[in-house]
Amino acid sequence: MLLIEDLRKSYGAHEVLRGLCLEVSAGQIMGLVGSNGAGKSTAISIACGLMTASGGRVLVGKADLADVDVAADRRRAAGLIGLAPQELGIYPMLSVEQNLITFAELAGLGRRAAHAQVERIVAALDLEPQLRQRADTLSGGQARRLHTGMALMHRPEVLFLDEPTVGADVAARQAILAVVRDIAAQGTAVVYTTHYLTELADLGAHIAILHEGRIALEGSVDEMVDAHAAPSVAIVTSGERPTLPGWVPSLVDGAVLDDGTVLEDGKAGRGGRVRWDAPTSAIKTDRVAALADALGRLGARTKLEGVDVTPASLESAFLDITGHHLSGNHTDPGEAFPTQAASEESSDVVHA
Amino acid sequence: MSFTRSAAIARTTIRLVIKDPGVTIIMVVMPLIFIAFLKPSLQAQLEQQGYHGASGAQLGVPGLAVFFAFLSIQTVCMLFFREHFWGTWQRVRAAGATGIELVVGKAGPLVLVILAQMAVVFVTSTWLFGYRANGSLLALVLLLAGVALCVVALGVLVVSLFRTLDQAMVLGNMGGMVMAGFGGALAPTSTLPGWAQAFAHVTPTYWGIEGLRSVSLDGAGVADVAPALGVMALFTAACVLVATARFRPTDTKVGAT
Repeated sequence: MLLIEDLRKSYGAHEVLRGLCLEVSAGQIMGLVGSNGAGKSTAISIACGLMTASGGRVLVGKADLADVDVAADRRRAAGLIGLAPQELGIYPMLSVEQNLITFAELAGLGRRAAHAQVERIVAALDLEPQLRQRADTLSGGQARRLHTGMALMHRPEVLFLDEPTVGADVAARQAILAVVRDIAAQGTAVVYTTHYLTELADLGAHIAILHEGRIALEGSVDEMVDAHAAPSVAIVTSGERPTLPGWVPSLVDGAVLDDGTVLEDGKAGRGGRVRWDAPTSAIKTDRVAALADALGRLGARTKLEGVDVTPASLESAFLDITGHHLSGNHTDPGEAFPTQAASEESSDVVHA
Repeated sequence: MSFTRSAAIARTTIRLVIKDPGVTIIMVVMPLIFIAFLKPSLQAQLEQQGYHGASGAQLGVPGLAVFFAFLSIQTVCMLFFREHFWGTWQRVRAAGATGIELVVGKAGPLVLVILAQMAVVFVTSTWLFGYRANGSLLALVLLLAGVALCVVALGVLVVSLFRTLDQAMVLGNMGGMVMAGFGGALAPTSTLPGWAQAFAHVTPTYWGIEGLRSVSLDGAGVADVAPALGVMALFTAACVLVATARFRPTDTKVGAT
């Protein structure tokens, strides 16, 4: 397991970590999320012994123990920790097999054990056909899978995966998620950072939100969403700024008009976006269609561009907790309005 | 220090050299080409110095083998910097490798590669140019090993001093060429100006080339080349000391400024 106690790190006057505390038990997947620059990679670097902390400590151990101080006994800790950093780290001139063998040898695995582990890893990550292929000839997704596999060669007790699916295609992403589930099921404590928050829901991860150098909130995906997220409906218009009739909010049961004002002005002060936060039950396709229909008759000088329904999600919970407003991430109202599906897809991604 | 981890890093280094042998092949082929067209003039120089009947190869082979060995400083730099570009440096460190294990694992095989590189030049020259060593074979091998150690130590020093590959390559290549030139790689130091001859004595190349030439031409043994071996050992030790003081495994290395 992994135990991080009061971790602090400063770069000059800039305090990146301000007393980070985190506990990840054996078999648990901990989704560590935070905006860019929140200190996720710094925390991981310290936890892996690559960087020294300004204060606090990191303990790792087998099963439910946390008896090895990473800073004090780096060598022993390294045997317990696996790391797939954010940046791709593979030997491009070596084959997939040689890349994996290198990390097995570094961990002190014997020849037979190393080859057995290579077989397991390439099978799990669907890299068998590429086993003897040079790494620089792999596709982006294959390279990402290899990168992840290299961290698993010594069957670590604590595994850090720093944005492991960046640049991975759908198949590679699914393969990586399956391996993460599998390795956690075998008792490895996994720390998983990502900006693709749906991955954490898929993994059934416990979430820790890193904000301003410390964990702002911790809980399951459902707990986060229930407590901090509500679905929203946005109406985007162009042309003259609309005067919304009083009956519009009533079309969505139980909706709370955000503040009754246009939240975002369109280009040159024209058009705008109005948002409602509503309970999940209120958002029904027929209601939204009726709303759109009604808004379509607003007037000749106001054109309805679309209606954007964003269900309650981990993303909206994250934004609520970290104080970022959704409006900062939306498309320019002057641009073509996204489809509902596209909107939902984009709502899974935190743009901080 | 863990032998297992250093050995694992060394095996990877060897795999990388095997997968990308271009520079090593060039460092073997180029001295042979140079020897081929310098041999007649070198033979004439030897005649003037009283080595009647000696082939120019006895002068050219040691000089050019050492010259191109010192140009291999770039190979040392490249192998270290590439680990940073590939993102593998941090990963190997995360696997528990310390700075010393990384340096030993990367530099150790390079000593053997550069030694083998020079050995191939010497052996091939016996067939192509009639090169013969009149002295002790053991002395010859010790001198070549001394040169290889010097080159790698100098390479590691350059890596420890510079943040960018551009800086390291320019200084490594220029430094190697200057030292080889002053050391008598292209012409005997006795033919250089007085100030250059004085400077030559502080270069490891001078001692390496002089030692190899004395084995090749004068029939020198291990005892005769001991001073040359000693100076090269001192130079290597000095490089290792400074590199140890400067080397930080946590340093960031980049391609260009």
